[in-house]
Amino acid sequence: MSNFVARLLAVDFSGLKDEIFPDTEHHVIEAGWFVVNSSVFSGFIVVVAILLVALIFRLTVIRKWKTTPTGPQMFLEWLVSFFDKSADELTEEYAGIMGPYTLGAAVYICCGVLIELFGLRPAMADLGACLALALCTFLFIHVIGFHKNKARRLLHYVNPINDITDLAVPVSMTFRLFGSILSGMVIMDMVYILVESIWFVGLPLILPALLTPLFTLFHAFIQSYVFASLTLTFVQEAAEAKPKKERKRRKDGRQQSAA
Amino acid sequence: MELLIAMVTNFLASDLALLGAGIAAVTGIGAGIGMGIATGKAVEATARQPEALGKIRTILLLGLAFAETTAIYGLLVSLLLIFVA
Repeated sequence: MSNFVARLLAVDFSGLKDEIFPDTEHHVIEAGWFVVNSSVFSGFIVVVAILLVALIFRLTVIRKWKTTPTGPQMFLEWLVSFFDKSADELTEEYAGIMGPYTLGAAVYICCGVLIELFGLRPAMADLGACLALALCTFLFIHVIGFHKNKARRLLHYVNPINDITDLAVPVSMTFRLFGSILSGMVIMDMVYILVESIWFVGLPLILPALLTPLFTLFHAFIQSYVFASLTLTFVQEAAEAKPKKERKRRKDGRQQSAA
Repeated sequence: MELLIAMVTNFLASDLALLGAGIAAVTGIGAGIGMGIATGKAVEATARQPEALGKIRTILLLGLAFAETTAIYGLLVSLLLIFVA
């Protein structure tokens, strides 16, 4: 027992710093101005993998589309209709844009985190990747707001409180995604260091296998779902048109009275 | 005198940073209370209307994401204090 305590106290966590913060001096690819760190490199791998999987689905499953669906077809239909349905409920007329965008963002986030299972640094454990996705959402919110309400949207920016809330949206989305992915990664790295230094029979096999679903799998699915539904909620908020609704009601009333 | 100044600077720079990292972890209390209340209300709502389970789950996950944000900010602050400061 005292041996175990001594081993537990001797665990060296100083290697954790190099795991958390990306290496700024040695990059994966260095060719003049084209510098790629480990996060962006796994991002490239994720993009290539998603494109390959999409191509394979296009050539095999979608070509043999049937009225009595098989397993892969059921999965594809469920995945696409899940995002399309939630986009349809929240952002009625813009569902054609928002459905594919949320599906794409969710798939990228999910795969970008799950690549951690292969021992690479997750693509989302980089502030730039999260900021890029959050800025896409920011752009969608304002473009759709202007498209829906035209110049009336400018009245929204007169109120300074609205401006501050709008500017807080990308920041909070960035840090929510980044923080939760990073926390999962840090916990798993701590577990790996712990398992490396206290070696018992079967412990290196069992402990990571039990904890990986908690801190990597669930995080990946939940964070991608949360990102998608937050995007839809903010876009719905921007696409609301209060003065127009009254006019529509009047029109409907006239039509009803005329009928 | 110089030794004292060096000690004070060292204390402020490293030891108080670690103390601050510990204090930043207190954000977990607020997030825990918020998430607990949200989950409890969701359970109540499901017990009252089991057919609305899908909608309740969506709203609950959104609320949990918002409640979790403060805890994540605390985590980021304490990580920065431990490893960067």
